[in-house]
Amino acid sequence: MKKFLVTLTLSLFAIYYLSPLLATFFYASSTSWEKSILPDDFTLQWFVQLLGDRAFLGAVGRSLLLATLMTMIVFIVLVPTMIWIHLYFPRWDQALQKIVLLPYAIPGVILVTALLRTYSKSNIPMFFVLLGALFISMLPIVYLGISNQMKLVNMKELVEAAETLGVPMFPIIRSVLIPNLKVGTTLVSLMVFSSVFGEYMLTNLLIGGRFETLRIYMLRRMNENGHVASAVMILYFLFLLVTAFSIFYFNKKQTKKIVVREKMEEPVYEKLLNHS
Amino acid sequence: MKKYAGLVPLISLLAAFLIVPLIFMLLSSFQSDQTGTWTMTNYTEFFSNSYYYQAFFNSLLITMVSCILGLTGAMVLCICLLQLSEKTQEKITFVSNLAANFAGIPLAFSFIILLGNAGVMKLIMPSLQAFDLYSWWGLGLTYVYFQIPLGVLFLYPSMRELKKEWAEVSATLGTTSFYYWRKVALPFLRPSLITTFIILFANGMGTYETAYALTGSNVNLLTVRIASLVSGDVFAKPNMGSALAVLFGLMMITLMSIVGRKEKK
Repeated sequence: MKKFLVTLTLSLFAIYYLSPLLATFFYASSTSWEKSILPDDFTLQWFVQLLGDRAFLGAVGRSLLLATLMTMIVFIVLVPTMIWIHLYFPRWDQALQKIVLLPYAIPGVILVTALLRTYSKSNIPMFFVLLGALFISMLPIVYLGISNQMKLVNMKELVEAAETLGVPMFPIIRSVLIPNLKVGTTLVSLMVFSSVFGEYMLTNLLIGGRFETLRIYMLRRMNENGHVASAVMILYFLFLLVTAFSIFYFNKKQTKKIVVREKMEEPVYEKLLNHS
Repeated sequence: MKKYAGLVPLISLLAAFLIVPLIFMLLSSFQSDQTGTWTMTNYTEFFSNSYYYQAFFNSLLITMVSCILGLTGAMVLCICLLQLSEKTQEKITFVSNLAANFAGIPLAFSFIILLGNAGVMKLIMPSLQAFDLYSWWGLGLTYVYFQIPLGVLFLYPSMRELKKEWAEVSATLGTTSFYYWRKVALPFLRPSLITTFIILFANGMGTYETAYALTGSNVNLLTVRIASLVSGDVFAKPNMGSALAVLFGLMMITLMSIVGRKEKK
C-alpha cells in the first residue's frame, strides 16, 4: 500500500516535471503537431535552420563572450583578493561577507534600477555597466564557493606551515594553494559560466536589443516561430545537462576528499551554490 | 600599507557597481520625476495609487501561494524519496536540480507549448480548454514548477537526518503516525522549514523572467512594474521605480537578516 502510494506520487511529479520538456522536444522535431498525442512526423529541419541562422550563432557568440569574460574577471579579481583577505585580513571576512551576500537578498531588478539611475546618462558604456552588474550578481556564488573550499583545505595552516619552512610566497601559491583550490575553483567557474551564459534580466534591462544574447534571442524567436524556438530550448537544455553532469562530477570529487573530516554544519547559503 | 593595495580592485568594483548605485537610487527615490525637486511624493504615491500597492499585493499573493505549494510539494517529494534506495535518491535529486535551472524563458515557453492557447494538452483533453495559462493560475503553475526543486534542495538534507528509529519508537509506544509528525518530526524540522520558506519567498518575490516571458507586462507584479518604470520606454518614471525598489529592498533585507539570525542559533 505504502509502496503504491510512493510510486503514484513520484509518477505524478514525473509527469509534472517531464511533460513540458517532452512537449518541447516533440515540438522541436516535428513539422506539425495537431490533434494527436504524438506529433505527426519527425524532422531535424528546425535544428538545421537554426544552425544556419546568423542571428542565433551571433547570440550564442555574445553569450559565450559574456560568460568567458565574466569567468576571467572573477578569476583575475575575485579569487586572488579572497586569498589575500583570508591570509591577511581574516577579521574583515565577516563584514565583507555581509556585503557580498547582499545580491542574494536584493533581487536583480533592484540592482538594475540602481545602475540605470547611476549610469544611464553617463559616458560610461553600458556594456561595462553590464559586466559590473554580472560581477555583482556572481559575487555570492564565487565568494561562498571559494571561501568554503579554503576552509575545507585549511588554507591558513597550510600557508603558515610553508612559511615557517622558509618557502617564499610565489612557490607557496604555485605548489600549495593552486593544487588545493583546484577542484573548488573549477566548480565555481562552471557555475559562473553557465549562469552568465543563460542570463536574461540584467542583460535585457541594461542593454536590451542592442546586444542580443541567447535568452533574448529565445524570447524573440518564441513569438515568431515556435518550432525553431523549441529547437533552441532543446540545445540549451543539452548545455544545462552537460554542465549539471560536470558539476555533479566535481562535487563528488570534492566530497570524497573531505569525507574523512567530521561532518560540517552547512550554512544555508552554501546550498544555494548547488542551485546557482 | 602594501597589504591594503591587494584589496583595491574588489573594493572599487563593489563601490562602483553596488554601493554607490544603491545610494544614488535611494537619493533619487526622494526626487520628483516631473520637476526633479526633493519630495516624498514617490512614497506617498505608493500608498495612495492602487496601481502600485496592487502590484505589491499581487506579488505577495502569488509568492505566498507558490511558497506554500512549493514547500508542501518539496516535503511530499522528500518523504517519497527517503523510501527509495540511495542510488535512486541521488538520481532524482540530480533531475530536480536540473529542473530548478530550467526556470525563466525556457520554462515559460515549454508551458506555452503544453497549455497555451493552442497547447498540446488542450487538444488532447478538451476539458482543459477553459484553463488560461496567461492568468494567475498559469503563473502559479510555473512558479510552483521551480519552487519545488529549490525547496527540495534545502529540505532534503535535514529530512535525511530524521531517524527511522524515532518513527519506530513512536509506533512501538502506540502513537499514531499523525502524532509522530506533530510531536517529533515537525518540531525537529521547524528551523529548516522556516529557512526554506524564506528562501522560496525571496525567490518568488524576485522572479521576473518567467513572469515576463509568460505574460509580458500584462500582469501587475512588483518586479515587472519596477522594470517597466525604469527601463526607458515612454512611460519611464525612474524615480518612482527607485522608490518601489527601495521599499522592496528593505523588505527583502529584513527577511534575509531574520534567516541569518536563525542560522547563527
